[in-house]
Amino acid sequence: MAGVRGAGPIEVTGLRKVFHQTGTGEAVVAIERLDFVIQQGEMVAIVGQTGCGKSTFLNILIGLDRPTDGRVAVGGRAPYDDFDHFRGVLAAVFQQDRLLPWRTAVDNVRLPLELLGRDPGEQLARARAWLDRLGLGRFERAYPHELSGGMRQRVALARAFAVEPALLLADEAFGHLDEVTAAALRQTFVELARTEGNTAILVTHQLEEAIDMGGRILVFGRPGRLLADINLRTWPAASVASLRADIQRMLQDNAADPRFSPAAEEQA
Amino acid sequence: MKRDPTLGGETVEALEARSPFRFPREMVIGLLVLAVAWQILSLFVPPFIVPGWERIFGSLVTLRMDFVLITLARVVVALVVSFVLGLGFAVLMYGSTRIERYGRPIVRLLMAVPVVCWILFAVLWFRWVEFRIAFVLVVVCAPVFLVDILDAMRGVSKDLRDMLRSFRPTHAQLFTKLVLPATLPVMLTSWKINLSLAIRVVTIAELVGAVTGIGYGLVVAQELFSVSEVFAWTLILVALLFAAEAVLTHVEERLLRWRV
Repeated sequence: MAGVRGAGPIEVTGLRKVFHQTGTGEAVVAIERLDFVIQQGEMVAIVGQTGCGKSTFLNILIGLDRPTDGRVAVGGRAPYDDFDHFRGVLAAVFQQDRLLPWRTAVDNVRLPLELLGRDPGEQLARARAWLDRLGLGRFERAYPHELSGGMRQRVALARAFAVEPALLLADEAFGHLDEVTAAALRQTFVELARTEGNTAILVTHQLEEAIDMGGRILVFGRPGRLLADINLRTWPAASVASLRADIQRMLQDNAADPRFSPAAEEQA
Repeated sequence: MKRDPTLGGETVEALEARSPFRFPREMVIGLLVLAVAWQILSLFVPPFIVPGWERIFGSLVTLRMDFVLITLARVVVALVVSFVLGLGFAVLMYGSTRIERYGRPIVRLLMAVPVVCWILFAVLWFRWVEFRIAFVLVVVCAPVFLVDILDAMRGVSKDLRDMLRSFRPTHAQLFTKLVLPATLPVMLTSWKINLSLAIRVVTIAELVGAVTGIGYGLVVAQELFSVSEVFAWTLILVALLFAAEAVLTHVEERLLRWRV
């Protein structure tokens, strides 16, 4: 079951990421420096404005991108360098559902299990179970274009959970949905992550979403630096409203900083 | 896209997408109008220039139908070989940018050579007629498959690629679960393009040296100055192309039923 294997703590040390613009070769700093540790089983929301390096960080954590400097290690191993080690260990839900349009809902959920070489019977049973759990049992034979945005995102959630990953990542996964659907999916995400004992990281630019998760909030500022590290579990409930105002002020001050050009924001 | 008032404001494409097996009324009417115009023209022009339909159909029943099957077999075999080669080289170039850098100019060169030059080369280089025809067809069609498939592979969405990579597939899994299925629509379109190309090219290739096939039939008809026979063969070629396209469209509808 989930979390049994355990991904181990996520250690981010002196992380820096620089992109080079195509054509001009001009260097654009996406992440200036990040240092923090996320313990196994923690639920963390990374919040920040567009262009603060949230998605870049997540891509590095997934292993799709390599750091320019510093290190990201999960259980002591770097996801980019030890790419195959994380097979079946982590799963991600992205802003767009990224379902394969030629596969039905159930076949999309099966996909990671096929990649892991699981028994076909087990693949189908587990995919169906997760679709049922997310209220999509009746739509298992539907193609993505036959489903609404919220339903497609639930299929994407089912696909991520079907792997029973020790590390679950969501990149602005609910931001483009209407508030009611987003809130319901967010709640599902949090509940499932807690039940399964995953380490869960939700990247968002919506402060409310981060607070709703009720775990730890890492506030990112431009260009990719940690402005605040807040643990809501130890935060007095009465002062959550003031916390919201504090974070907003922090982000506004960061956005007003003249050092960060629009070009840098775009690239990041 | 213009809307057709006779279709209740619906476009022809939308109507076909909604009910792909409906009777093709507009097409039949259009072709009938053309046939009637042809028949009227034949009344005023000598039959050795524009033969009437009675003459064309009269010739049609005298044609050797085994020639049609031979031409069709040549096209199908050559297209299968071209597809396998095109796909194989596309995979190689997709897997190695170095191979692509060397290979692309060669493919471009092959595509720039006119068909008639390939036919002449085939006559000069090869003795066996079947091989000549197959060579011409493959050298013309394989590069089209290659370029279409390679471009489609390169165009596979980065978002989908990243999604799949996050699950750590092997190279083979990435290819079979994502790249190949994502390329399938382009492959089918490429088949349609190449089918039309091959039917035209095979006829020209058969004009030189072959003693069977529709191209040979056309040469004989021209030598006998039988214009109605030339038209009858042309009619068969067009019908062949329409039938083959209909089969491919049916295959496409079955394989790509996931599309909107």
